[in-house]
Amino acid sequence: MDMSLKEKSTWVSLISTIGVFGYYFYGILGLVGLPVEVALDNALSLAIKIITIIVMLEIIFQSLLAVSHHREANLGNDERDKIFNDKSHRISYVVLVIGVFVTLGRIVIVEYNPSFTAELNSIQIPMLTAHILLLSFILAEVARFISLIFYYRRGR
Amino acid sequence: MAVDLPISNKIRELRFFANEMTQQELAELVGVTRQTIMAIEKSKYSPTLELAFKIAEIFGQSIEEVFQYHPK
Repeated sequence: MDMSLKEKSTWVSLISTIGVFGYYFYGILGLVGLPVEVALDNALSLAIKIITIIVMLEIIFQSLLAVSHHREANLGNDERDKIFNDKSHRISYVVLVIGVFVTLGRIVIVEYNPSFTAELNSIQIPMLTAHILLLSFILAEVARFISLIFYYRRGR
Repeated sequence: MAVDLPISNKIRELRFFANEMTQQELAELVGVTRQTIMAIEKSKYSPTLELAFKIAEIFGQSIEEVFQYHPK
């Protein structure tokens, strides 16, 4: 399979994002049932851990790719890359907006129906609103990577 | 999975007659990646007018001689 540097770089970002944030959300679900303070502390240390991992992974793999494709790396994005980037950003934006509206809807429902608060609290996911927003952002990024790869494979 | 674009081209043939110019050489001359040239040759990507003119200029041809439009 003949892939450009940008396509390889997108594959690296897709795999590392799914792997690292999949691990993070799996870890967060594992905190359900713990006392709030303990869950918050664990969530924070997990967040620091995965941010460090994803930054390291991106630096290592993107640097290796840039070194092995130095000519393309110096060229930057050509017109095809820019067009595909624009298209995939549009898809990503839709996913992000859906996530933002889900979050807003949840906030409004909780505000107007305090009885739901007790039920929602029973889920006991630390910083639930922040995590819904984070999940929306990650899903938007994954949608962007998948659509980019799709355009590179299929063409336009 | 590839799309069927209404624009074909003679870039491959023109490269052959230009001292068997490689895709990489052409890509460097017009400032894109080799994969973009490959995608154009396979009609998987329609270049912008600017890039189409650059490619035609490299081969000393008019744009119509390099690219052909086939409306469906």
